Amino acid sequence: MIKTIAKPAEKKVTGCGECRSTCQSACKTSCTVGNQSCERITREQKIDEQK
Amino acid sequence: MIHVFSYHSDHYVYDTGSGSLHACDERTAKYLSGEAIELTDEELKEILSLKEEGLLGAPETSARPIKSHEVKALCLHICHDCNLRCKYCFADEGAYHAAREMMSFATAKAAIDFLLEKSGKRKVLEVDFFGGEPLMNLPVIKQTVYYAKEEAAKRGKRFLFTTTTNALLLDDETIRFFNEEMENVVLSLDGRKEVNDAVRKTVNGKGSFDAVIEKIKKFVRARGDKHYYVRGTFTAKNLDFSKDVLFLADQGFDSLSVEPVVTDIPDLEIKEEHLPQIEREYEVLCDEYVKREAEGKGFNFFHFNVDLEGGPCLEKRVSACGAGNEYFSVVPSGDIYPCHQFAGDPKWKMGNVFEGTLDPVLRAQFADNCLFTRKKCEGCFAKFICSGGCSANNYHFNGDVNEPYEITCAMMKKRIECAMRVLAMRKIKEI
Repeated sequence: MIKTIAKPAEKKVTGCGECRSTCQSACKTSCTVGNQSCERITREQKIDEQK
Repeated sequence: MIHVFSYHSDHYVYDTGSGSLHACDERTAKYLSGEAIELTDEELKEILSLKEEGLLGAPETSARPIKSHEVKALCLHICHDCNLRCKYCFADEGAYHAAREMMSFATAKAAIDFLLEKSGKRKVLEVDFFGGEPLMNLPVIKQTVYYAKEEAAKRGKRFLFTTTTNALLLDDETIRFFNEEMENVVLSLDGRKEVNDAVRKTVNGKGSFDAVIEKIKKFVRARGDKHYYVRGTFTAKNLDFSKDVLFLADQGFDSLSVEPVVTDIPDLEIKEEHLPQIEREYEVLCDEYVKREAEGKGFNFFHFNVDLEGGPCLEKRVSACGAGNEYFSVVPSGDIYPCHQFAGDPKWKMGNVFEGTLDPVLRAQFADNCLFTRKKCEGCFAKFICSGGCSANNYHFNGDVNEPYEITCAMMKKRIECAMRVLAMRKIKEI
């Protein structure tokens, strides 16, 4: 048995650079790119939710 | 590349090429790990189906990122002094191996002008106020925030501000200011009183816990739903750090980050022999994290946040953290460094905000840094999540920004597995 738990959302645009700087998070010592969310997806989701 | 791992009696498969996570039974885990095991036709069909969908054994990118030269963020060392004397402080207890001094508004203003000028078309800019202890220079923080907002508005841009503080000088007026102006506030506290006070001492050598705990509680109560982190450090002295994370959660703090210390002080340094215990602690924390979430008493732990569904694009994942190219630190003199952890080392001085300069050779070197310049990362399952780790850590421990530090890597990999476990447990709950 094998079941998918998570897969990346399809991105219409990549490398847009809209994302925040990685070092602006909590740690200042263990910066982790993968902990960030895609700003563009987050923004588009908010717009969809408001519709 | 696929990474098969077990957590208690459960089995997971992470596909690095597609960024997908799957749960599987023991037989499938063994088969995918390369063990000689015969699967049924049905089991093989499931695997084939995932491969056809591009979710298992997907090819990995090897394309170098195309990096822009827009500056996104500055760390302003608003105060190179501190009212605490924490034993593990990478910043030399606030002084950064130089004279204790405050950043003037003239320097902060020049830094804001520098950022606005170098930010190109980027609309959202970020500034974090860092130290030492930034609240020792609060008037300049306020002046800088108001100036930056005014200048940004003229250019159709906006700033997101962060302050990192030890909370010793936090009062009602500062809490109000933070809630109005700071996108994020990071408050330093290590956890249990005895753990905190063993390393986070006042200038008189007393523990700082009692002086800050009620202030931090008051801040968190007033913060509402705005971002903050109570951020601790664990050392070799508290390898049972899950107790500190849970202690902080029990104080009513619901956004936490507790990080391994970055130091070579012998009795505090994290060493290879500590790794088994640290890995067990992350599991203890992960189990309790999942349990509390299921009970409706969950909290946010920064390192269990890995976002596989809405996370960064591949371009970002291979670009490394951006230090020295899109992110810089500015010290009170106006000198620019790749990030706060390089500050004060003349070898890494990149320019000065009054001159508006950035060393093109150093910047090109940092702009070129990416996952693919870190050869050790080639065979690692975590590479598209950690993006090759922290350049400063790499340099300070291995003498090369592109040479990942193995102990940091081991902790990172365990945290990522725990974060995947959290995702899996949430998914099961949804089902």
